[in-house]
Amino acid sequence: MSALTPSEQARRGGNRSMGSLLKLLPFAKRYRWHFAAVVLLVIVYNATTVLPPYLVKIAIDSDISGPRPNLHGLWTISLLYVGVVLLSVAANYLQILLVQYAGQSVVREIRVALFQHIERQSMAFFDTNAIGRLVTNVSSDTETVSQFFTNFFLSMLRDGLSLVMVVVAMFELNVRIAAWSMLLIPVLFGISALYRKRLRRAYQTTRTRLSNIMAFLAENLAGIRIIQIFHQEQRQAARFDALNRSHRQASVVEYRTSVLFNRTFEMLGNAAVAAVVWIGGGAVLHKTILFGTLYAFINYIRQFFQPINAITQQWNTLQSAAVAADRIGQVLSVEPAIVDAPNAFPLALEAVRGEVEFEHVTFAYKSEVPVLRDVSFRVPAGSFVGIVGPTGAGKSSLMSLLIRFYDPTSGRILLDGRDIRDIRQTDLHRAVGFVQQEANLFTGTVLDNIRLFRDDISRDAVIAAAEAVGAHEVVNRLPDGYDTFLYSKGANLSMGERQLISFARIVCLNPRVLILDEATANLDSHTEALVSRGLQAVSANRTTLVIAHRLATVRRADCIYVVNQGRIVESGPHEALLCRGGLYAEMYAKSGAAYEDGKMVQPI
Amino acid sequence: MPHQSGNSQRTESPTRLLRQFMWSNKGWYALSMLSIIASEIVMVQFPNLLGRFTDALSAHRLSGRMILQYAGWLLLVGVAYVILYGIGQLRNGQLGRAFEYQLRKRLFEHWERLSTSYFRRRSIGDLLNHAMNDVRAVREALTGGMNLFTNAIFLLVTTLVMTFRTISVRLTLVSIIPLLALPVFIIWWGPRIREASKSAQEALSDMAAVTEESLSAIRLVKATASEPVESARFTEKVDAIVQRQMVVFRRSGLFQTLIPFTGSVSFGIALAYGGYLTVSGQIALGSFVAFTLYLAMLITPLQQMGFVFNYFQRASASLKRLEVLLSEVPEIQDPAVPAPVTHLEGEIDVNLPAFQYPDGSEPVLRDIRFHVAAGQTVGIVGRTGSGKTTLVNLLPRVFNPPPGTVRMDGYDVHDLALRTLREAIAYVPQDGFLFSATIGENIGFSRDDATPQMLLQAAEYAGFRREIEQFPDGLDTVVGERGVTLSGGQKQRAAIARALLKDAPILILDDSLSAVDMNTEQHILAHLRRIRAGHTTIIVAHRLSAVRHADFILVLDGGRIVERGRHEALLEMGGLYASMYHLQEAAVEEVTS
Repeated sequence: MSALTPSEQARRGGNRSMGSLLKLLPFAKRYRWHFAAVVLLVIVYNATTVLPPYLVKIAIDSDISGPRPNLHGLWTISLLYVGVVLLSVAANYLQILLVQYAGQSVVREIRVALFQHIERQSMAFFDTNAIGRLVTNVSSDTETVSQFFTNFFLSMLRDGLSLVMVVVAMFELNVRIAAWSMLLIPVLFGISALYRKRLRRAYQTTRTRLSNIMAFLAENLAGIRIIQIFHQEQRQAARFDALNRSHRQASVVEYRTSVLFNRTFEMLGNAAVAAVVWIGGGAVLHKTILFGTLYAFINYIRQFFQPINAITQQWNTLQSAAVAADRIGQVLSVEPAIVDAPNAFPLALEAVRGEVEFEHVTFAYKSEVPVLRDVSFRVPAGSFVGIVGPTGAGKSSLMSLLIRFYDPTSGRILLDGRDIRDIRQTDLHRAVGFVQQEANLFTGTVLDNIRLFRDDISRDAVIAAAEAVGAHEVVNRLPDGYDTFLYSKGANLSMGERQLISFARIVCLNPRVLILDEATANLDSHTEALVSRGLQAVSANRTTLVIAHRLATVRRADCIYVVNQGRIVESGPHEALLCRGGLYAEMYAKSGAAYEDGKMVQPI
Repeated sequence: MPHQSGNSQRTESPTRLLRQFMWSNKGWYALSMLSIIASEIVMVQFPNLLGRFTDALSAHRLSGRMILQYAGWLLLVGVAYVILYGIGQLRNGQLGRAFEYQLRKRLFEHWERLSTSYFRRRSIGDLLNHAMNDVRAVREALTGGMNLFTNAIFLLVTTLVMTFRTISVRLTLVSIIPLLALPVFIIWWGPRIREASKSAQEALSDMAAVTEESLSAIRLVKATASEPVESARFTEKVDAIVQRQMVVFRRSGLFQTLIPFTGSVSFGIALAYGGYLTVSGQIALGSFVAFTLYLAMLITPLQQMGFVFNYFQRASASLKRLEVLLSEVPEIQDPAVPAPVTHLEGEIDVNLPAFQYPDGSEPVLRDIRFHVAAGQTVGIVGRTGSGKTTLVNLLPRVFNPPPGTVRMDGYDVHDLALRTLREAIAYVPQDGFLFSATIGENIGFSRDDATPQMLLQAAEYAGFRREIEQFPDGLDTVVGERGVTLSGGQKQRAAIARALLKDAPILILDDSLSAVDMNTEQHILAHLRRIRAGHTTIIVAHRLSAVRHADFILVLDGGRIVERGRHEALLEMGGLYASMYHLQEAAVEEVTS
């Protein structure tokens, strides 16, 4: 087991990253009065917990066993006791609610800020950061950090304070016995620290082995037919047995450690009581203290253990919170690569004509190898343009630049004669629409999926859009029509249906420039016919750029650009390109489109 | 521990398993129970000692030596309690873990007997989580629940006996009244906290789901300037978390405050009433002191009773769920009386009017009829979803064909012992499924006794040997998450080597050359033709070049055989096969140019 588990790595990085936790403190600023109130409540609560033994001491020393037993005094003390208890309950309840509310609110702010920050990033960020990890940052790292603002904060305050109060009370009662008792503090902390480390390690071993079991099970159940066909049930069972057994061993060790720890602590507590009886008893005998004092001492010495135990427990919380904060901080510290220019131009959407021009555009994802080299072309407003080329030629990169997912390394891209870097991104994205091969769906109704949750788009507008692309019949076939609930994985819709939804979506948003990136690649021929009709409706009155694998899709384009190895190698309408006999003609001949036409049969 | 794999035909319910386990470990359970009881008896001496000490002290009957003695006794009691209780606790913990282990073992062996179609129906992740959590719930009840249960009962009894005997029955009864509400409160309120925190967990995973959904669609989100909308959707989920978390904290906060509160109320009564009894001389001061201590000791077991109840309730629900899991009868089983044959030659006869998955709505295969003489090579081609994989999975009964529709050497596969049937078939899945073990272990999956030479030989036939030898650890290279990640083509070739090593009368390649390049494909096919000469071989393929040399080719479309014959004949026919062939040849040239 040499590989470090994440939590082990976390432990190592713990101390280094304590600073990142502090960096998250500004998020708590809005709630500072909440936290202040918690401090106050903790003080009240702690006072009420320290008081009872003292009250009993008074009762014993002055009312019960004093020279003149006093029933009246006893009643007063008892009433006082009830009052204190009620106060304690109220303070306890309030402090829990308040600290949790404040903590949860802080985490809420962190989450929202983090999410918005991530969504602001350019596409280059998502190329290097796995989505799974980002989701972990947003959900579980923040959850871990919340422990810092709630449990850790509360425990430090409450347990720290009660430790102090118990100590003060003990010194108040009798300095000598109190001083003796202080010997316990280093011993207790030492034992705690020692065991916690071992406990944590044991816990991690058990966890790792359990996840080994889970991984083995998942794999074997997925490959159950291989096991059965190869008739290896017994051998796999033996392997499982080995894993299962080693997990049991680790689990027993973990349990033993924790039992040992708890019992040691308890034993020390009992020993401490015995010691107090010994020391204090002598003092009572010599009349240096009253018996009630001894009684209070016995109680206080027991109260002593709980906060120390709790504080050392919180130490682990602090460490994992720090590591989580560090991970969050790393994401938050990434500045978005693409931001609006300070004097960005607000675009009036209605006024956009839709003329697109690339001027000497060169672009590389990672500085060295350019995927686009010195690309220039102009698309007049309202025209229909096809972009074709072999896989990896740079077609999609071209389009990503136009939407400003990335900025070109050199050269510029103009929309209606204006550099798109001078346009606010929001406006640019309203003006330029985009349908990709993979149709994303969101968890929500069909209606919301088409209008992308925008309430300003009416139901009628959505239906009109769906009708325009031929999605209306498809949607009506769904159980609840436009109110059918979809799931993000889209299991309840076929590929074609999903793509139709995304076409309707784009019609709804009504951009002036439309990019279709292999949008029809996944459709079967029936749906494709349906969609291409919709497509014609969509592309009317808009500048449309279509990236296509199947050349038939772009045959009727006003102009077709052939991209190869990052350059535009040919351009012109279909017939002209065929006559040229270049790459396009070659691709066309091989595409199978020629067979359908029966025009040019190539010998195989 | 008895060897379990032999009795795999018996379905034992987990409840019975539990009873058997407890019965066979009755000695240990008795020991742990006894030591916990003994620890309680020792523990209740603690307040008693302190009380007697107090009395002696106030009566001025104490000497310094006696004080030391009392302190010594207290220490002894403290130590003895901790040791005795620790022994019982530890033993119960070990027993609980032993049962957990047995339950898991049982589950795995059960699952191994279920068919692929069962796992198709159920999400494996769900299955695992359920089973793991349920097993843990049972273990927790067996360990923590057991400890607390024994502890609570006996501590309660011994404490009450002590207070009745040494102090005052009346004082005890009066003071204990508020405490009686504790278990009721816990039993009633505990599940509500759990419910709330489950709902908070759901809110949390909802948020994670929205995050993932939104980030997966980040291109769309950005291209449509939907960031504010997404942010609003996300915020809504985050707010839901805060809201539900607060419900959890309101409920658990009440829990955390009310439990000590009832204790305090009891204590208040004890203070007032006990104080009164002391002042009026009905009990001694020492008894009063001891009683306040006893009271603190009573709170714990009463609290524990509530927890124990919740533990056991959860565990019994888990046991029920496990019962359902374990009672699933394997769909594909050995025949009661297997046909008297242990070796198959490899003749296959399929006469299948229709095949439908148990969970499907319509047949995926119809009118499939063909005959394979032993030693023939058959190609099966067709579009995605045409039923090729389903068809070949019927042969080893990965999916169950209707009785009498699939025959081997003249026997219905239903009549063959599973062992005989499956020993006769080597199978290469499309995805080249490998286990997270070494390459050598994967290739030698069917044979423990394979020498490295044999493994490498098989790899050689599968066109994988050179790459294996280039890995620093060779055959010992670990595959999967913890080792080298193999490419799709490498996995397929390893799976082919695994099947070739099995050297079975029938070899099925289920589109298992899809991820290897043309040259390697030809290399593998050439080897196959040589070493499989005289053995039945079925090649399912997307790429037609893989089946060119087959004795005959079946062309599937929409679950039916639409064309059949040799390569040349099919080309001449000018049907689906021919058009697939032309399309592919064109694509090949595009790639190679």
